[in-house]
Amino acid sequence: MKLWAYVVRRLLLFIPTLIGLTFIVFILSHAGGNNLVLAEYINPRLTGEARTLLIQKLTEEFHLNQPLYIQYFYWLYQVLQGNWGFTTTPIFSGTVITAIELFFPNTAMITVVASVLIWAIGVPLGIYSSVNRDSVGDQVLRVGSFTLYAMPIYLIAVALILALGVYLKIIPFAGVVNPILVSNLSWYSSGISYPTHVLLIDSILHGDWIVAWDAFLHLILPSLTLALAIVASIIRILRASMLEVLEQDYIRLAWSKGIAAKLVYNLHARKNALLPVLTLYGLTVAGLLGGAVVVETVFSYPGIGYWTTQALLNNDVGGIMASTLLFGLILVTANLILDILYAFVDPRIRY
Amino acid sequence: MEIEDKQKNAEDISAFIRKQERRWDSIRVSISVFMANKTAVAGLIIFLIFIADALIVQFLPQMIGINNPNLLVPNFMDPVPLPPSPQHPLGTTYPGIDLLDGIAKAIRIDLAYSFFVVAIGASVGAIVGIISAWAGGIWDEIVMRLTDIVFSIPYLILALAVGFILGRSLWHMSIALALTWWPLYARYARSQTLSTKELTYIEAAKAGGVSSAKIMFKHILPNVLPPIFIQISLDLGSIVVIFSTLAFIGFIPNANIPELGYLTSLGLNYVQTAPWAVIFPGLVITIFALAVNLLGDGLRDVIDPRRRS
Repeated sequence: MKLWAYVVRRLLLFIPTLIGLTFIVFILSHAGGNNLVLAEYINPRLTGEARTLLIQKLTEEFHLNQPLYIQYFYWLYQVLQGNWGFTTTPIFSGTVITAIELFFPNTAMITVVASVLIWAIGVPLGIYSSVNRDSVGDQVLRVGSFTLYAMPIYLIAVALILALGVYLKIIPFAGVVNPILVSNLSWYSSGISYPTHVLLIDSILHGDWIVAWDAFLHLILPSLTLALAIVASIIRILRASMLEVLEQDYIRLAWSKGIAAKLVYNLHARKNALLPVLTLYGLTVAGLLGGAVVVETVFSYPGIGYWTTQALLNNDVGGIMASTLLFGLILVTANLILDILYAFVDPRIRY
Repeated sequence: MEIEDKQKNAEDISAFIRKQERRWDSIRVSISVFMANKTAVAGLIIFLIFIADALIVQFLPQMIGINNPNLLVPNFMDPVPLPPSPQHPLGTTYPGIDLLDGIAKAIRIDLAYSFFVVAIGASVGAIVGIISAWAGGIWDEIVMRLTDIVFSIPYLILALAVGFILGRSLWHMSIALALTWWPLYARYARSQTLSTKELTYIEAAKAGGVSSAKIMFKHILPNVLPPIFIQISLDLGSIVVIFSTLAFIGFIPNANIPELGYLTSLGLNYVQTAPWAVIFPGLVITIFALAVNLLGDGLRDVIDPRRRS
């Protein structure tokens, strides 16, 4: 099969996956009966005649008296129209779309910083570990990455908070900014900054370097936690694949030609060793998303994950369902892109 | 005629003995490969200690002085965490819960729930995987797309959503995880079945008129089990970690359940003055996850001859 045929096939398979995903979310949101759906729209203080009338009106509007599989299409139509329902949490109340607009950029920010850290830490350490196989450094790295791999993310967070925040007192560890610094700013109100909603970028846009530095300091611990949680598996995979590549004939040929060690490792071996890491990067995206929920909650960082746990703890069905859908969509899309990318990167693979 | 029969019989018996010897040899080799891996042996020992703790709390709780293994015992007279002392070897956490007692109980609960999730996930996954690979064609495609869909939702989010619908409790959490845990096993079972299916002895069984069900479960299943056992040992750790994470972010509401993540979260407000209240339960989770990972690695060395060195 040609490469473009593979891409088209993947794109076509994308559609049933999306339908399955939305169907699961729909079933979940309707498994508790109609009351759960209605609860979003009815003021709990409303009683008597008015309540009955409103329920009737909403039942009509959302087609709740139709069979479930027909309701699914109405629901899907609403979702495609951008009507994702309402959310009511202590950190935000309003439409889900607005909540996503406000919180998503922050999550994107820490996941991007964490991804950069993962590659910046993981690749050199993984290569060092395989090149100096069984040396003291390699042993330390293996034990360290195994332990990190086994640790729950919140423990990594607690350990970092204890070490860097509490004992060394070098990095702040809650929220996104020192509230005193932002109390009088025109572009910042009740925890939301404008126009991009990411404080670090906004403060740079407004030229406020003191706030920017503080926002940067607050960004370090969450993204470092997220990165450390995932970097362990990258180091392990890279070490294993690098060791395998170093056994190959073309590497032996490179040695026998007298090419410098640095060139052999960095030019000949690394490229091929990185391929399995790239395949597993799909799993890393899942890890980043799941990790973001925990990290944002631990650090009270206003991203999608923090909003999700707040929605959960406050019985907010709109928020939970929307975030399930959003996380699913991101993951499916990321995996699709990575799979197609992989087909382009590895010339040995032809589908 | 009789002599020939006897001769054949004797040959059969000696062939049988040789086969048994060979089987015993391969088991001996497997054990020695596993024993050569020091870290895997350490993992096994730690794992057995955890199992022993769970069994003692389950069957002989009085022996180690535990009266109600399903509840934590708070002491509101002295709620602030106390440092380790002879009365409380690991100290106490808020509100006055003895950590050693709490951790001993929590290990049993965490192990029981993660065994439940893994058992359901592995058996459903193995059956689905074998059948889909054996049936092939459109069924195979449908099952694989289904696993794609389940893979596409982060399990943490799905557990949150399911817990939200069913109500938040440990039991519902494990149902949610069991629902999301089978696809990985299904993939392993499928790929193993696909390669086994082409072997000659399966062809022979088919030619001999053995039924599909018997081939699948008598001849293919034993080949599928080794990678599944490795994955089970790895997953036990991940599920304990997920349970504790869910409990930590507030999934178990106002409960007195001994659970490692919940124990960790109890001490969180005192982390600056009483770090042991967070460190000890956290350490227990990490050690368990580490031990089963090492154990899984050791098992992989045994099963995959390419990894033997």
